[in-house]
Amino acid sequence: MNTIKLKSTVAHICLIIASLFFIIPFLWMLSTSLKPITQVFSFPPEWIPKPFQWSNFKDAIEEIPFWTYLSNTVVITIISTLGAVLSCPLVAYSFAKLQWKGRNVLFGLTLAVMMIPGQVTMIPLFLLFNKIGWVGTPLPLIVPSFFGIPLYIFLLRQFFLGLPDSLRDAAKIDGASEWRIYWQIMLPLAKSAVLSVGLFQLMASWTDFIGPLLYLTNETSYTLSLGLQQFQSAKGSEWNLMMAVSTIMTLPIIVLFFFLQKKFIEGITFSGIKG
Amino acid sequence: MARTEKAISKTSVNPRSVPKKKTKIKKGYAGWLFASPWIIGLLLFYALPVVSSLYFSFTTYSILQPGDFIGFKNYSDLIHDHLFWKSIGNTVYFAVIFVPLSIIFGVALAMMLNMRVKGMSIYRTVFFLPTLVPQVALAVLWMWLLNPGFGLVNGMLDKIGISGPAWLGSETWSKPSLIFMSLWGIGQAVVIYLAGLGDISNEYYEAAEVDGANWFQRTFYITLPLLTPVIFYNLVMGVIGAFQQFTLPYTLTQGSGKPNNSLTFYVSYLYDNGFKYFKMGYASAMAWILFIIIMILTLLIFWSSKRWVHYQGK
Amino acid sequence: MRQSMKRIQLFLLATLIVLAFALVGCSNGASSSKKGVTTITFWNNATGTGKDALDAVIKQFNKTHSKIQVKSTYVASNESSDDKLLTAVTGGNPPDISLFDRFKVASWANQGSLTDLSEYAKKDGITKDKYYPFAWDESSYNGKLYAIPISTDARLLYYNKDEFKKAGLDPNKPPTTIDELEADADKLTIKKGSRFQQLGFAPWLGQGWLYTWGWAFGGDFYNKDTDKVTLDNPQVVKALQWEQDWAKTHNVEDITGFQDSAGSDAQDPFLTGQISMQVNVTGTVEQIKKFKPDLNYGVAPIPTPTGKDFTTWSGGFSLIIPKGAKHPKQAWEFLKYLGSPEGQKLYCGTSKGDLSVIDSVNQDLFKDDPIMMQFVDLLKTSHNRPSISQGQLLWNELDSAVDKAIHGKGDPKSLLEKANKKVNDALAKDKAN
Repeated sequence: MNTIKLKSTVAHICLIIASLFFIIPFLWMLSTSLKPITQVFSFPPEWIPKPFQWSNFKDAIEEIPFWTYLSNTVVITIISTLGAVLSCPLVAYSFAKLQWKGRNVLFGLTLAVMMIPGQVTMIPLFLLFNKIGWVGTPLPLIVPSFFGIPLYIFLLRQFFLGLPDSLRDAAKIDGASEWRIYWQIMLPLAKSAVLSVGLFQLMASWTDFIGPLLYLTNETSYTLSLGLQQFQSAKGSEWNLMMAVSTIMTLPIIVLFFFLQKKFIEGITFSGIKG
Repeated sequence: MARTEKAISKTSVNPRSVPKKKTKIKKGYAGWLFASPWIIGLLLFYALPVVSSLYFSFTTYSILQPGDFIGFKNYSDLIHDHLFWKSIGNTVYFAVIFVPLSIIFGVALAMMLNMRVKGMSIYRTVFFLPTLVPQVALAVLWMWLLNPGFGLVNGMLDKIGISGPAWLGSETWSKPSLIFMSLWGIGQAVVIYLAGLGDISNEYYEAAEVDGANWFQRTFYITLPLLTPVIFYNLVMGVIGAFQQFTLPYTLTQGSGKPNNSLTFYVSYLYDNGFKYFKMGYASAMAWILFIIIMILTLLIFWSSKRWVHYQGK
Repeated sequence: MRQSMKRIQLFLLATLIVLAFALVGCSNGASSSKKGVTTITFWNNATGTGKDALDAVIKQFNKTHSKIQVKSTYVASNESSDDKLLTAVTGGNPPDISLFDRFKVASWANQGSLTDLSEYAKKDGITKDKYYPFAWDESSYNGKLYAIPISTDARLLYYNKDEFKKAGLDPNKPPTTIDELEADADKLTIKKGSRFQQLGFAPWLGQGWLYTWGWAFGGDFYNKDTDKVTLDNPQVVKALQWEQDWAKTHNVEDITGFQDSAGSDAQDPFLTGQISMQVNVTGTVEQIKKFKPDLNYGVAPIPTPTGKDFTTWSGGFSLIIPKGAKHPKQAWEFLKYLGSPEGQKLYCGTSKGDLSVIDSVNQDLFKDDPIMMQFVDLLKTSHNRPSISQGQLLWNELDSAVDKAIHGKGDPKSLLEKANKKVNDALAKDKAN
């Protein structure tokens, strides 16, 4: 009994020490967001705002059309995340568990397209969207995710490869269709991986700057990351306000992560089907 | 049970569940069908831009002007470009040190965060936080922490009698500083490892328990081997990411790569060429050289993976 | 089970499609055009007082021009990137007007991406003598006009009068020669160990680019006749040599440490008194007014080796009409207006801290401000960065040469010769195309 207690104490101590290292940037952001401007650049840095200036948050929100940008961002983020979560596991499953001609070549290509830096494909891609008349609409920011994203396809493929084939074979003998095996058996088993993909795409879409910059032309359809940039150029010197905006921007993801993370360990052991 | 479900799938209009005749053909058909969204996506949103960039690499394309076809001139010019080699050196330095470190730390952290301890939700969230803080804010914070005179890091070193270096201002220490900063943001990799750990079937551990295996044995004979598919993923993506490192050094140095170009990374230089000097053809040639480098490394990793990656399913 | 699953899928899909269309519908709102009225789009990254100034001008313009209405849109961009404008021009869908750093006019003009304004200017009698020569030169490329300048700045030596007094120097006698500058700097410097409590001066801090010192030393960076850069100009080499010597005698590592811990804006080292003298741009005046109005400071011409022939250099913004703009004629009307004395007065009077590109406007706006007048006085002879297609490369090469020189990575002459060759090679390539 005692050893268990000791173990958990040691674990806590290790975790707390490591946490300190990781929480610094966030604490700094939070503390700066509450400081008066005169305290922001004091050197050496002070951690406790004096006094706490809560009005920073109000000022920050009022500087840009916050609520418009927020709702635009939410819509784009949700749809593109849905797209990624629907398409990527399907394709990944096909790469991992189904036998078909050309599979390995296609998988090789999937990896290959990630090796070309986005900076050189950005312009041709823009011209493509321009040609089909999507520039000025949010479509270039959401539609591609419904057709799969190589990064996540590769990730999910790794997870599907780790699932035992015996499950599939058993279902096959029962006469289940490929679609049913995927949707009702394999997909639930990869839940934790699919959730992480959802989280990553959500973050990527939420913070994406260059996409909205290039494709959105109407100020009423701008997203928060463009707002942040706009804010930075207006109040770039007022770091306390900058950090207040940044805090507001990251808060939803933090809350979401807090609730999602439990699912990551649930994985196979809780899904009720054991290999 | 099985029979009723079969009946339903027969009546369903879903083309994917058309009654099978020959398993072989049907198998392939399902695979293609499942992958079809991506096949379309790959062709539309990836293949076209990638192929265009290959073509551009043989031209003097400037984004604003189509330019002329000049064959391999961009490639041969690159060989004589001093900064090109310097940026390769910097990038390789970063990748060689950062990728292994990120895997070691990432796995260790994930295992720590996978313990059954109270309050784990909070710890996990904390470890994930640095990936959420905007890059600009991170850059400024780091400049303060690593400030040679007043920074927290040198302050602490001072206490134990070490006079710290100039960190970002020193040619020797600028890249290690950057590696240090990047390790801070491994939250995403940790999430992937956590998901991987969650997918290891409890049966293995139960069996190990019966055999009386200790922590060390469980870690090295069960956890790590079964985590290899995910480690493999992070290794490949880590290499790709490290070679395409751009945002952090670019914001840190405002694009200048100072001191003495020690923070000029491959893609920073590529970006300058493409967007600042209007040499997109040249930048595209750089992109394709990068492609070849990463491709070779990835092939090596894939080739070696047969020896060290274990899939539960097999 | 299976049926309900399918229903959910169908529902999801339907929702998505509806949402997607709703989104497209929202943002594709057709531009309303009243009869005979042309709406022209104007992209800019102005915020704060800069935005107030532009808005004031647009309002006035729209009021006086019933047939043309200007619509301003915020587009994020900074010195190093105008990705959005770039892609829009490439896609053939640019705005009618864009705010544009004059520094980049030449390289974009060389790419054929700006509308040639020479004809319009000729027709409306807009000529070089209406503006400062440097502003016109920087707006032109190969003898053609591609932009209308709208604002400018200049660089001067800022010095802290209180600290001058404390160090036993005459606060009304700032240094005029390089030797005096160095002597005063040493008197003003208070150092403890490797840390500066107060730094007298360092050439490369603030706006101390090599351009600043190269011209102050009487050098030049560009030969118009040969269309080649002249970084190996002996005076430019001398300037860099001076910087390198300074770095050696004053321990560059310590200065870098100081520089890295320096704050900005309210905590700018000059405002906090941590640095006694610094070359800075016009905007610093506004910054001091905002964050430290009681600072007792003065401005003076940038010292030269001889203490004569003071000079400075200027940048600033302009308006351009991208190639492919739908309404160049109407856009030109707005350019003309903002570039006219009337528009300039409204713009620079509202924006605070921007100098006008027209001398009479500055004389009028700043006649009661002795500090601003010091800037205005130098504008007539101010330099501009060479209007060449490789301006950005030249900038980066100079910046990198200084970085290397002060850290002792090579001697100034060979560093500049190397940079010179690189830029001239690139220029030659541009010409061959």
